[in-house]
Amino acid sequence: MNESLNFLIGLAMGLNLLALGSSRLPAVIRAMSLQGMALGLMPLLMEDHFDWRVSLVAVATVAGKGFVIPMLLRRAMRAAQIDREMEPFIGFVPSLLLGAGGTIAAVALARQLPLLPEHAGSLLVPGALASVLTGFVLLIGRAKAISQVCGYLILENGIYLFGLLLIKSTPLLVEAGILLDLTVGVFVIGIIVDRIQRAFDSLDTRKLTTLRE
Amino acid sequence: MIELLLTISGVGMLVSILAGMRAPKWWLGSLLIGTLAGVIGAVMALTSGVVWDWRSELIVGGEVVHLRLDAVSALFLALLGLVGGAGAVYSREYWTERAHPRSAHMGRVWWSLMLLCLGLVLVTTNGLHFLIAWELFTLAAYFLVTLDRQRSEVRAAGWLYLAASHVAALCLFAFFTLLAARTGSWELGSMRDRAELAPLFWLALVGFGIKAGLFPLHVWLPSAHANAPSHVSAILSGVTIKMGIYGLVRFSGWLPVPTEAGWVVVVLGVASAVLGVAFALGQHDLKRLLAYHSVENIGIILIGLGFALVAAEHGNAPWGRLALAGGLLHVWNHGLFKSLLFFAAGSVLHATGTREMSRLGGLWRAMPWTASLFALGAVAICGLPPLNGFVSEWLVYLGLFDATMAHGAAAWAAIPSAILLGITGALALACFAKVCGVVFLGTARSQAAAHAHESGPAMRGAMLVLGAACVAIGLAPVVFWPAVVRAVDVWNPIWAGAETPIALGALSLFHVALAVLVLVAAVWFWKRVKRGHLARAVTWDCGYVAPTPRMQYTAGSFASIITEWFAWILRPVRHEHRPMETLPAHASFAEHTPETVLKYAVEPAGGVIMQLSMAARSLQHGRVQAYLFYLLVGLAALAVVVLIGVDK
Repeated sequence: MNESLNFLIGLAMGLNLLALGSSRLPAVIRAMSLQGMALGLMPLLMEDHFDWRVSLVAVATVAGKGFVIPMLLRRAMRAAQIDREMEPFIGFVPSLLLGAGGTIAAVALARQLPLLPEHAGSLLVPGALASVLTGFVLLIGRAKAISQVCGYLILENGIYLFGLLLIKSTPLLVEAGILLDLTVGVFVIGIIVDRIQRAFDSLDTRKLTTLRE
Repeated sequence: MIELLLTISGVGMLVSILAGMRAPKWWLGSLLIGTLAGVIGAVMALTSGVVWDWRSELIVGGEVVHLRLDAVSALFLALLGLVGGAGAVYSREYWTERAHPRSAHMGRVWWSLMLLCLGLVLVTTNGLHFLIAWELFTLAAYFLVTLDRQRSEVRAAGWLYLAASHVAALCLFAFFTLLAARTGSWELGSMRDRAELAPLFWLALVGFGIKAGLFPLHVWLPSAHANAPSHVSAILSGVTIKMGIYGLVRFSGWLPVPTEAGWVVVVLGVASAVLGVAFALGQHDLKRLLAYHSVENIGIILIGLGFALVAAEHGNAPWGRLALAGGLLHVWNHGLFKSLLFFAAGSVLHATGTREMSRLGGLWRAMPWTASLFALGAVAICGLPPLNGFVSEWLVYLGLFDATMAHGAAAWAAIPSAILLGITGALALACFAKVCGVVFLGTARSQAAAHAHESGPAMRGAMLVLGAACVAIGLAPVVFWPAVVRAVDVWNPIWAGAETPIALGALSLFHVALAVLVLVAAVWFWKRVKRGHLARAVTWDCGYVAPTPRMQYTAGSFASIITEWFAWILRPVRHEHRPMETLPAHASFAEHTPETVLKYAVEPAGGVIMQLSMAARSLQHGRVQAYLFYLLVGLAALAVVVLIGVDK
């Protein structure tokens, strides 16, 4: 049980690195959606016996993160006619190194944290920290709006991993609400991306600095 | 009776605020009734010693309105009423509807509002209401200073005044809120036995000190006083800066003070007195010069207060009573003669259109009333007998001399203080010799001065009232002594019951004798002139073929020796082009004294703050990525704090 959970988290951490190292937007979206699906399966593995509520959360997460959100992003990408991150603030190799360093640091840090004994052996906390960090690196290091949305979603995946620690005490409604928020958020960003493209002829967020005041 | 008078006063002020916009005659009438009632009420409180205490049902800002008029408040209220009323009469001619159609009506409204709020500051015994009234009168004064806001230097002066006032108000907010937090109520009153309140004195010193204009905190004062309309300069200098003194006297009386407080006040007082007059000597602008004399006189008042604090610290030695009585009487005196001088300066400005002394000259013949009254004020401010300035400074001197008889540090502080006070008086005399000589004697240096005319009855009347008050206090100090001493006894009840210094009666006699002598000499001289025994000649003739007004001493050259002594702090700016060749074609010399503290301390400090702020502003550049990075750094910092905290 715990081994398969750790395997999925390990997979998610690997996907983090893939997202950091790739310059092609479809690859980043794919890594993000795969990570979402892997995380979606986790609640099923954590429960010993079948619980319809947990299954509902899992199905909704897999559907939302694995299919709906990537579809929305691909549509936005097509509308904006871009598929590459050209000039990142933080290059791909440095991002990869930051991500790898961050993952190691996350594992080291998790040892220091005062965790409950039943979570001590699992990769949940380091995986969560590593994903949050990866999300931040993508958000800070990428110039294109779609890459940043992917970064935001990976960050959210990290928060979701933290949330799994509390799955038994989190009401279903909260889970559903978070998922819905996320989907709507991405939907709105898809529209905004299209608008930015039309207004500025580019998706480079650096050109938005004139809007600061 | 006092209650009735103060009610009339308040109602009169309210009516005048309403009437100010449209009905100038009603404004003046109601304002005069209000100020007169206020003065009579204050005088009754001072003569009878009755403390008027009135707690109403009315609630403002969650606090019950509670007013009280004791001798300390009444002392300042009497001055406020007198100068406020005289200034209103003066302004009817000085700031007329015709000459200033855009600002005359607002000037009247702000004037009434300021008088009302000043009165409220004096009588309220609630910290919150004190702050409200304080802030309101500060704002009213700002609008009065900037009545002529088409001129950029007026706006700059107003801005500086507003900024300094708000620094002061900030300190007072801290003072009153901390006081309320520690006592549990906004009610003010005597709480001398609560020693834990003593450190609050420093906040009060800075807050009230900025308003009073004591030396390093006076930066706003010269430009505001110089650029305001003259009746506003008069009340700013005569009354509103005294509110700072009122605050210091009030709260050093009601609250316990730190042991060092007296010494600090003495040092600040001496510094203000000497440096104020030194800066005055370096000025070429008539009103700016008078403004620096306010710093000087605030210094003299603070010397009195400071030695009273020192005396209270040294077992309530009786010399402290004399020093404080001198200081408080000087509050009156300075309020009277400084307002008189500003009125006279305004009359000169009104007649010639300039405040530059090097463009004036020979005004005595054209403006005999203004010149004589200015001279009267000058004699008073220099502390010469037989006028009021001498009486109050003499009381401070008496206190200092008695203090030198005491043992210990007080004696060692009193000797240099007395010497420096003497130097201040001498320098003030030099300064006013310069002003009277340059402005009123000699010949006109410009066309404007040559065509000067005497001001009308309203302006002259206002000046005459103040001049008469100066003469009255000078000739009969015994009459005014009980009023002042009542305020001193409210400040420190332990001193109550001590008698009049015997010398005060002798001083009265001496002053009357001197005044009669001066009068007789003047009449004799006047008759001699009338009989034509004196030959008339061109002023500054000196045997030249073609004397010109430019050959006269200028204000700068007259004072140059003394300003040279103080060059280390005055830091005069000189532009000189010396005559070089055998037959020089051109030479020039110009000198002006900037406000040293403003230029070398406040402005650099402001520059540093501005640079830091601009540097901080570049953090906001609009790049989302960087904002997220700040977020991450913040989170990491919090994590570090938490982890270090966990380790402990």
